[in-house]
Amino acid sequence: MSLASPQFLLALLILATTFFYLPGLRLRQATLAVCNAGFLYLLIPNGASWLTLAAFLASGYATALLLRKWPSRTLLFAYLLVLVAGFLIVRKYDVVTIYLPDSILALGVSIVGLSYMLFRQIQFLVDTIEGQVDRVSWWGYLNFQLNFFMLLSGPIQRYQDFQAQWDRLDPVLEDGHAIRMAYFRLLLGLIKMTVVAAVFMSLYQQSAEILNLPLGTERQPGRLASIGHFLNILYCYPVYLYLNFSGYCDIVIAGASFVGLVLPENFDRPYVSRNVIDYWTRWHRTLGFWIRDYLFLPLYKGVAERWPQRAESLAFLCYFVAFFVAGIWHGPTTNFVIYGLLQAVGVSAAKLWERHLLKRRGRPGLREYMKSPRIRVAAIVATVNYECFSLLFFPVDVPTTIHMLGTVWRAFV
Amino acid sequence: MTEVHDQLQDVFRDVFSDPSIILNEGMTAEDVDGWDSLTHINLIIAIEKRFGVKFATAEISRLKEDSANVGSLLQALTGKLQPSK
Repeated sequence: MSLASPQFLLALLILATTFFYLPGLRLRQATLAVCNAGFLYLLIPNGASWLTLAAFLASGYATALLLRKWPSRTLLFAYLLVLVAGFLIVRKYDVVTIYLPDSILALGVSIVGLSYMLFRQIQFLVDTIEGQVDRVSWWGYLNFQLNFFMLLSGPIQRYQDFQAQWDRLDPVLEDGHAIRMAYFRLLLGLIKMTVVAAVFMSLYQQSAEILNLPLGTERQPGRLASIGHFLNILYCYPVYLYLNFSGYCDIVIAGASFVGLVLPENFDRPYVSRNVIDYWTRWHRTLGFWIRDYLFLPLYKGVAERWPQRAESLAFLCYFVAFFVAGIWHGPTTNFVIYGLLQAVGVSAAKLWERHLLKRRGRPGLREYMKSPRIRVAAIVATVNYECFSLLFFPVDVPTTIHMLGTVWRAFV
Repeated sequence: MTEVHDQLQDVFRDVFSDPSIILNEGMTAEDVDGWDSLTHINLIIAIEKRFGVKFATAEISRLKEDSANVGSLLQALTGKLQPSK
């Protein structure tokens, strides 16, 4: 079910207008739990998928209980290995499916939102073993993982933040103005997703189709047309993705606020980022912070504590590992690996440039450089174009991207 | 508290290679040149080493949030030092 569908919006509006008339916390929680279960019911295709999801959820909760009693890193590590292997199987990554019998693959297990559930599970368990989760409840955990506002594409919320809100489910919109602004945001998200994003997607698709024509076709575009189509695939897909995803976030963040849940913001004007490091604190923020906290941080902290003299250089290796994982998390195909690695190249380049400036100009010089409006504009333009280029690899497989770029190239040689 | 503050200031000066840093509780990452995600981890490692404490992943992350400042760091640190006193 799409969040922009009339059925979803109607159900959400009914929920929004009636929710706080429900007496008592238990009834409110039960109402949300029924909504979560109903939403999930529409998305899980078969019995094998239900069983796999049940195993995923039950194992995560049981491991959390064990870790609270026996905070063993070995147990956590062993469980995470199994969890990630299971994830790779369900999402049909080649690296594991080639070793699996056809009978397993024929089960047709498909769990929508599993990538997000995986990251939430890892956060929940790491924070549990480190003593950051005061209370673990099966009821709260289930609704945290299956919350219909966050099920499809996040945002990735911390368990303890969700549990604190779930335990109260009090109104979070302070007055009439806040309520009107939440409805406005819902409407804005809907328009972004269904109208504006759709226009940019259509432009992208038209140009991608032409640039993707087989070699030797008579309809091959000329030079000028090639430039136009190239600009379309370079800029229209990123604009579509931003509008679609931020529109989705507007809908779920506004929708959740109607029932007393405060979801974390996922976007902060990503197209004014001055480098790729800055970009990942503005674009899909909860994913960027998750990568920073649960991949990069333990990795870099581990190497920096062990080899402090070489920490500066090893940080780059950590960037590549973290973004490689972030890339393959998006999907099982090579294009996502390339997307992830391009992010690592961008982050490394930004860091190297900063070190170069620091060495050459010193702290005061770097401060001056960062304050210059002209340099800021140039940095933003460069970052936007780099991110748009990296997103060429996002929607289609690598041969298709190369074919499209080849068509543009051939128009000039 | 003053002793912890002074020691923390030494750690900051060391990590950011800037002997002129004067810590105050309202200072944020914006006020210290070079206090980014990477140096934040270096700072935490140095604090853990100097004070013999350990920060959890979620705590390290919270201390880098926009709303966090040196005061939050001092509070988190003194909270960890308290039980052993």
